[in-house]
Amino acid sequence: MDLKMVKKGAILVVALASFVAAESLSGRDIVQKVKDRPDGDTRSSELQMTLINKGGSKRERKITSFAMDVGKDTKQIMFFRYPNDVKGTGFLTVDYDDISKDDDKWLYLPAMKKTRRISGKSSKTDYFMGSDFTYDDVGQRNVDEDTHTLLREEKVDGVDCWVIESVPKKGDEIFSKKISWIRKDCLIAAKVEYYDKLGKLHRFLKVEKVVQVDGFWAIGKMSMENVQTSHKTILEFGELKFNIPLDAKTFTVPRLERGL
Amino acid sequence: MNLIHCHAREGGHLPQIKHLMNTNKKRRFPAKPGMTPLVFAFFATIAVAQESPFQFNGFVDTYHAAQTEWPHDMTSSRTRLRTELRVDYENAYLFASLNATHNSVLDDRTGVQLQEAYFNYTNSVLDIRAGRQIVVWGVADGLRVTDLISPVDYTEFMSSDYDDLRMAVDGFRIKYPGERVNAEIVYVPVPRYFQMPIQEDNPWRPDMPENATFDFPEGPEARFKNGDFGTRLSFFLSNFDFSVSALHTHNQSPVTVANYDIEKDSIIIHGVHETMTMFGGDLSMPLGEFVIRAEVAEYLGEALGYRSNFDYARKNTFNALGGIDWYAGNNWTFMVQYLHKYIADYSDELSAEKNTSEMTFRISKELLNNTLKLSLYGMFDIDNLAYYGRASGDYALTDQVTLSAGYDHFGGKRGQLAQYKKNREVWAKAKYYF
Repeated sequence: MDLKMVKKGAILVVALASFVAAESLSGRDIVQKVKDRPDGDTRSSELQMTLINKGGSKRERKITSFAMDVGKDTKQIMFFRYPNDVKGTGFLTVDYDDISKDDDKWLYLPAMKKTRRISGKSSKTDYFMGSDFTYDDVGQRNVDEDTHTLLREEKVDGVDCWVIESVPKKGDEIFSKKISWIRKDCLIAAKVEYYDKLGKLHRFLKVEKVVQVDGFWAIGKMSMENVQTSHKTILEFGELKFNIPLDAKTFTVPRLERGL
Repeated sequence: MNLIHCHAREGGHLPQIKHLMNTNKKRRFPAKPGMTPLVFAFFATIAVAQESPFQFNGFVDTYHAAQTEWPHDMTSSRTRLRTELRVDYENAYLFASLNATHNSVLDDRTGVQLQEAYFNYTNSVLDIRAGRQIVVWGVADGLRVTDLISPVDYTEFMSSDYDDLRMAVDGFRIKYPGERVNAEIVYVPVPRYFQMPIQEDNPWRPDMPENATFDFPEGPEARFKNGDFGTRLSFFLSNFDFSVSALHTHNQSPVTVANYDIEKDSIIIHGVHETMTMFGGDLSMPLGEFVIRAEVAEYLGEALGYRSNFDYARKNTFNALGGIDWYAGNNWTFMVQYLHKYIADYSDELSAEKNTSEMTFRISKELLNNTLKLSLYGMFDIDNLAYYGRASGDYALTDQVTLSAGYDHFGGKRGQLAQYKKNREVWAKAKYYF
């Protein structure tokens, strides 16, 4: 058999297979791929949030975050460094992959010298430190909390994206649906539109910078704007590190109380 | 709820001062620093010499309150500088906080006070803290059931933030910081007692005869046998947290016993503090949007005053608290607590009832991207049908500046809260963080 024919045939088969695979991806499959995007077993970062109100005045929040995957679950501990009224505050969460299980959350308040066990359910829909991100946005939303539909494929800033509509299965969320443009090259959203209960655009997320650190894709900078109030939050991730040596004792209440 | 900005005031429990009268005794202020500054200076020298990292921050706040009734006397007026220094050195750090206060209502509160000063060392199996420190046990909000180590300063009733009401103790704490289990031992060689509003010029002093003087100790005699010591074992589990604890301590809130001095034609009110032993436990369990909190404790040999004021008895008492926090979403938070006390082997001579109870509640809502927080706090002395309520607002003007204002209301039939009707007040506060 002619070798060229075999090679062309093989290429055609692979291309067809890829095409069929891409075509068969459901909205859920894509969101699952996003969730499963390699990000190491452990990671840390320095977060800086800039809150900008309608009048243009700015506030800042600075946080150091560590996270570790334990099976399908994720442990995360955050220490607040700025502003000074919350400096030393710590927030420990265990995000469970099991949709029927609420997250575990502890909050340490240095002024009170006390750690509080807090609800793992309701806080997800509240805004994080006065920003336009909810606790859910900065945490790990379970894939099956929403019904995902692949709407179409299109380019955003020249990058191929899947466009996914996600509708919450429960009615107690703050959004009625969200539409995400997922970059095919790195499995990170390029932008997300959040719609309120009346179906009006409520918040708009734009990922402004994607970085690759130690072979892992990650968000370097993104902004979330509440288009109804014109309040905006810019979130920048610095000092991104992956697969760093962290053990289970990093994610404990005593560690929370000890601080950074 | 903006969980991170949850620096809400926590209510304290009712200070037991219903038998108090006026005093000419000056309290120790500034606080006696003991050995902690020396420890601080020693380690600070090491740290600076080796250019270890250090953090310095603090705040300035000013708080002023005036009675709503004529002639609108000031009930509080103070300005304070708080400085905090932390010096890290490998696995250890040293922390010190200092208050410099000007109080224009209570002259003897003006001065410099060492709030905390301790040395902390941590490795994988031990966390050791020595020096002046605040120790907080339990899961209750402001009410004290097992949280009996650090006393409370009620000199200005509850006009301070709850963290300022707590008094540090000079002691040692050794903790095993496990992943799911925490074990801790605390030893306080020289305990401190509650500070009460007994000065003659204090607007929070209960109405008492003028020919009365006070003899309130600030702590027991410095002897080994008078130390407080206790242990607590805490578990942090997926579905709930719980702790068991035991503590040998004193009744930090004074039991008052009166004597009549014939020569001086004066009544002397003695503050009595006896040793007692506490066995207790607490539980904190999230259930959806709710968190259930519970705390129970048996006090063995708690001192309780007689109705006659001339003697006291020591009884075993059972104390139980139940609370529910509701994180309702959309920045609403609701909290309610119920505390019950039962005196075993009851005698009708006791001033307290056999069963007593109180309730607290708190409702808060955050607005304007969590820059404005509106709160309503209430405390009910169920047995005396008396209450205290506070409506307040806190606005974060900038990242550094917070402005607060509120109204405190007292009412009821009898008891200390009812006595404070004259102190219904409006107040304002500004706080600058640096």
